[in-house]
Amino acid sequence: MASGFKIDARVPLYARLVVALPVALFAWFCTMVPATAGGETLAWEVAWLPQRGIALGFIVDGLSLLFALLITGIGSFILLFSSEYMRGYPQRGRFTTFLVAFMLAMLGLVLSDNLILLFVFWELTTITSFLLIGYDHEDATARRAALQGLLVTGAGALAMLAGFVLLGDAAGTLSLREMLASPASLVEHPHYQAIVILVLAGAFTKSAQFPFHFWLPNAMAAPTPVSAYLHSATMVKAGVFLLARLTPLLGGTDLWMETLTAVGAVTAVYSSVLALTRTDLKQVLAYTTIMALGTCVMFLGSPVGSEGGTASVGLLAAMSFVLIHALYKAALFLAVGTIEHSTGIRDLRLLGGLRKPMPLTFAATVLATSSMAGLPLTIGFLGKDLLYTAGFLPESAPYAVWAMFAAAVLIAAAALLIAVQPFLGDSPNSPKVPREGRWTLWVGPLTLGIAGLVFGLQPQFAFNRLLVPAAASVMGYQPHFEHDPWHGSTAAFWLSLTTLATAVLIFWRRKAVFGGFGRAVSRLPLTGDQAYDVVMAGVSRLAAWQTRRVQSGIQRRYILIVFATLGLGLAVTLVIKDAIRWPTETPQATLLEWSLALLVAASAVVTILARTRFLAICSLGVVGTCTALIFLIFGAPDVAMTQLIVETLVTVLVAMVLLKLPDFSKEIWPSRAIRIRNGLVALTVGVSITLVLLAVTAQPPQRAVTEYFERTAVPGGHGRNIVNVILVDFRALDTLGEITVLGIAGVAAFALLMPGPRRRLKATRPTKPSEKARQPDATEGAA
Amino acid sequence: MNWLLVGPIALPLGAAVIGFCLRGRDSAQRAVSLIAALGLAGVATKLLAVVWQNGITVSQMGGWPAPFGITLVADHLSSAMVAVTAVIGLATVIYSFGNTPPGEISYALHPLVHALLAGVCGAFLAGDIFNLYVWFEVMLIASFALLVLGGTRSQLDGAVRYAALSLIATTLLLSGIGLLYGITGTLNMADLHLRVQEVENQGLLTVVAVLFIIAFGIKSAVFPLFFWLPASYHTPKAAVSAIFSGLLTKVGVYALMRVFTLIFTHDVGYTHELLLWVAGATMVTGVLGAASQNELRRILSFHIISQIGYMILGIALFTEFGILGGVFYIIHHIIVKANLFFVAGAADRISGSTDLSRLGGLYRDRPLLALLFFVPAFSLAGFPPLSGFWAKLLLIQASIEASEFVIAGVALAVGLMTAYSMTKIWLNAFWKARPADAGPPPMPLPIRLRMLLLGPITGLAALTLAIGLYAKPLYSVAERAARELMDPSHYVEAVLDTDHPAQRQVIGRPPAQ
Amino acid sequence: MEPIIAVVVGVLMAASVYLMLSRNLVRFVFGLALISHAANLLIFVSGGMIRGMTPLIAPNAALPEPGVANALPQALMLTAIVISFSVLAFALVLAFRTYEELKTVDTDAMRAAEPDNGIGEES
Repeated sequence: MASGFKIDARVPLYARLVVALPVALFAWFCTMVPATAGGETLAWEVAWLPQRGIALGFIVDGLSLLFALLITGIGSFILLFSSEYMRGYPQRGRFTTFLVAFMLAMLGLVLSDNLILLFVFWELTTITSFLLIGYDHEDATARRAALQGLLVTGAGALAMLAGFVLLGDAAGTLSLREMLASPASLVEHPHYQAIVILVLAGAFTKSAQFPFHFWLPNAMAAPTPVSAYLHSATMVKAGVFLLARLTPLLGGTDLWMETLTAVGAVTAVYSSVLALTRTDLKQVLAYTTIMALGTCVMFLGSPVGSEGGTASVGLLAAMSFVLIHALYKAALFLAVGTIEHSTGIRDLRLLGGLRKPMPLTFAATVLATSSMAGLPLTIGFLGKDLLYTAGFLPESAPYAVWAMFAAAVLIAAAALLIAVQPFLGDSPNSPKVPREGRWTLWVGPLTLGIAGLVFGLQPQFAFNRLLVPAAASVMGYQPHFEHDPWHGSTAAFWLSLTTLATAVLIFWRRKAVFGGFGRAVSRLPLTGDQAYDVVMAGVSRLAAWQTRRVQSGIQRRYILIVFATLGLGLAVTLVIKDAIRWPTETPQATLLEWSLALLVAASAVVTILARTRFLAICSLGVVGTCTALIFLIFGAPDVAMTQLIVETLVTVLVAMVLLKLPDFSKEIWPSRAIRIRNGLVALTVGVSITLVLLAVTAQPPQRAVTEYFERTAVPGGHGRNIVNVILVDFRALDTLGEITVLGIAGVAAFALLMPGPRRRLKATRPTKPSEKARQPDATEGAA
Repeated sequence: MNWLLVGPIALPLGAAVIGFCLRGRDSAQRAVSLIAALGLAGVATKLLAVVWQNGITVSQMGGWPAPFGITLVADHLSSAMVAVTAVIGLATVIYSFGNTPPGEISYALHPLVHALLAGVCGAFLAGDIFNLYVWFEVMLIASFALLVLGGTRSQLDGAVRYAALSLIATTLLLSGIGLLYGITGTLNMADLHLRVQEVENQGLLTVVAVLFIIAFGIKSAVFPLFFWLPASYHTPKAAVSAIFSGLLTKVGVYALMRVFTLIFTHDVGYTHELLLWVAGATMVTGVLGAASQNELRRILSFHIISQIGYMILGIALFTEFGILGGVFYIIHHIIVKANLFFVAGAADRISGSTDLSRLGGLYRDRPLLALLFFVPAFSLAGFPPLSGFWAKLLLIQASIEASEFVIAGVALAVGLMTAYSMTKIWLNAFWKARPADAGPPPMPLPIRLRMLLLGPITGLAALTLAIGLYAKPLYSVAERAARELMDPSHYVEAVLDTDHPAQRQVIGRPPAQ
Repeated sequence: MEPIIAVVVGVLMAASVYLMLSRNLVRFVFGLALISHAANLLIFVSGGMIRGMTPLIAPNAALPEPGVANALPQALMLTAIVISFSVLAFALVLAFRTYEELKTVDTDAMRAAEPDNGIGEES
């Protein structure tokens, strides 16, 4: 993994010290438990961009406190764990920084009061996740996984942002607290459906719901502490958190409930099937994580119900499952990390017999998997009981309980697999001799595992202090909860027991069942991961195709498009805006004027047709001279004189340059079709300009400014040639600019002709080829 | 004469002249260049402060009253643009000290940079449309010269395309101004605002407006007129690419913004609808162009185009909020884009290539450079808490507020594509291991050189982050700029109501609340 | 007279557009020369054309005679002529240097800046 890096086997001090931060935060949040348990909402706010109603506003209520405690509590163990786990890995400083940054971003996310602030933190978790998935950045798989995670969740986040903006628009505020104060009207809003769809896009991608789930297993390319923290216990729960947070505002409608239940159910069942087809322990855990997320989403689709009713149990079940899953999944990931750390492998087919060398890890795993499978006495059992109870409610979708059952059976089987396979049986076929690691490795999983048991035995604390307040923030009222885990023969209870029995059955016949799943999955026409590749390749092809068409590298095509745009733009506007005005009287012109005009036009045409440079230069000269004469006739002698001088200079310059350039004789003249096409474009531009000009001359003349100049030239400008006075006085700044242009043009021409490195090179090559031949020319290779 | 308004033009122009005279005396030329750049930054800051304090500030050149003489006007938009121009100018000057290889004295680089700055500032401050054209030409000819400095094959080839299309643009602009003068009889933009309302043939005005869209559209590199940009921006020296990428197209956007709020507002349903389509097409084609490239500076060049689309979107929405978003976007973009080109230059200097297939290992070997790329790149992609996030957010909010949902969706999707493009660079140049055939790993740069190259980059990155963390100051400037643009009466009054023409006074006016 | 010149401007524009569409750089430069004439004439026509009366003020008068030509467009044209001369001169030198380096004036064959358009690889 770390090839080529200098390996530093010490644990840096900061990696240990930094653990104090989440611990302190955890303690601080614990002090808030009584307040939120009493239904209070703590708020803190400071202005950020007040003009747009965007504040650095934070709230602590039951929901956000539950998440904050999970983030800081699990975060403490993760940082402790990774200080040991990452021993010998390179770039420790960056790794720790990103991990801490992630933790703070995640905390900010769950505590945000302002939607935009929430989005800011949301994206910060995306970025830190990107950096952490790509930790092993010289490995192409890790880079791909990092990019995939960023793009999938990023796409959802952008949709969500649009949803937030619409939501803010509809609610008239961006503050969640203010919205929650009067939530009813949003559902009636014409943008309601759009808001829901956009927000769900964000939540579903972040929480890896089907069909966006595929990025999460790939994200396992990250080091195990990262997978444990971001991609199971916390970040991926952000979507679940968001759905919970917005339920009082957007929930309760058929659209909301049906979508959540259906998507959650499909995700839960599909991913639990996939979990059993994997042999990499981290992959198994990744798919069971998706299952858990699906379960949460499915039950967040439960009806909100009303005070005193039974319906409230669905949302409570979802909240409970957030806690239950975070506890057991973080424990399991860390246990897997420990196993990997000790043995160097994490393939289920190779692992075995670790019970003896790693007893503490085994204990932690057993505790965690018990909760995962929902064995009695663990909090997992309570959670499943709640889920089934909610599933059996008449308000729930009829398929919910059966989807839940299917997923729960498979997950329980997976739990058995994780608990049995690595620890029982033969010794592992591993590169290292397995042994229990330092306390920093096993203390986390063991504590979390025990917590699952303690909460299971003493559910009152977890429920009354954390979960019921959290559910209350989601529902807007205190749900009725009086849980007796041994309430006996309800349907939910019997289903729980059936679940366990079926799981054991499946585990017993696992070869046949898992193999069957594997075959079924391999027959799927397209996985999400493949679809991602197809889309990326499609975008690449589209981009390449478009750029070849547009940015062709052929100058005349560029110019053709520009002039075609010009001609069309002018012509179409002239017609549809009815701007054309024909002159009212026949133009009066003398013979001389007529002939000059004709001569100009004819010479222009000759320039086009000229097949020799000489003729072209001559006809250009005629155009210049004749226009000068026109200026002269119409009272502009200064212009005429300047024009003649410039014309002469230009002709001399052109002639000088052309002598050095190849003759037209080698010119490849365009085909007839191209000439016609070019001619049409040229004609459109010419005709449009003429029509515009005719319309302009049909306007009444406006001479107010000129009249001022005429009046002021003598008294103010002290000159009798008005044109000159304008140039040197009234509009002297123009003249300054004009001189600047002339001067820089001289410099530019000189810079071009000056013996630069390359030209010097040519001149000196015979004598001194060595030194200057290495003049940098970055683009030479490309050319 | 009000030196605050003349200074941003006179100072760099003077520096350019002195610099040309000091040809061959490298250190003296550099000293002059640095002093002038610092001076410009000072004057620009002061100007922004004065405008913030007193409102639109006006100076009648030569003391001739508007609309007869030439007026220089600094409203919040102009002064903000001048300020950010000064910042980029200073960064470019410092960077180019480090970027010019020893022994190769580019005799005109610094003077030309200042000539360019003079043209850009002139364009921002011009209150007269023909004067605007003249400053465009100053900027253009200076950019020609900068583009070909060094005279490599690809530079010359790129310069041919750049010059060809730019010259077409300025000729069209000149024609447009001629026609507008023919219709209204005036050139002063405040006066034009009044005169166009009296024009009987409003359709003709719309035609001229389309001509202006095309002329300025070429300059701002919008679809389908942007070809010159990807053909040339990757060819010159890094410092030159950076200042081009920051400033040139934005002058075009500025001009569009000015003209399509002050002069051509008679047929918004046509002209601004047209701009809206242009904005969408520009965003999409630009970002797809970037996706097809594998060379650092070419990717960045296509992104300029795509970003221009966002700014045009702000104009096209033609609401105060839209313009606000557009102004915010322009300022953000100038800082970020120039910086990315600086980083590309530094990467080139360190690794000897800007081709993604030949780059790699920079994250491991050059973590500071990686960080300094990361900030502007993710800002460009619109990630919080960086300036680009606010810029995109404001425009998306503005689009939604104006019920332009489709364009809001396009803007979001293009944002995602931009993120893809930036991460592509990140993955290839920074994360990927250095390819085996790319030669030995780069030697560390001497400390002085590193300071000169990374100093400006760090400064601009810090600015990006500062705007991201606290957007309110820039937002407030953009807000006032947008108010002034959407209600041109203040501008018109400030320009035309000079009590006594001989007194070149500052007209102070408290900003509209 | 204005309508006639308006047509002439159109012809000049069309001719220069046609020239610029050529793949020969020299013809492009000819087009550039031609289009600046077109633009100048366009300004002249837009400002209104009056025969013979130069905008001068007689030595003893305070005002020019009524009906003199419009001075302002003339001033604009003078500025524009010098500017377009400058850029044209630059364009000529550029064309020359480009020929020197690339050995061609055929813009289709100039592929130093955009060799393969950067789209070498297609995945």
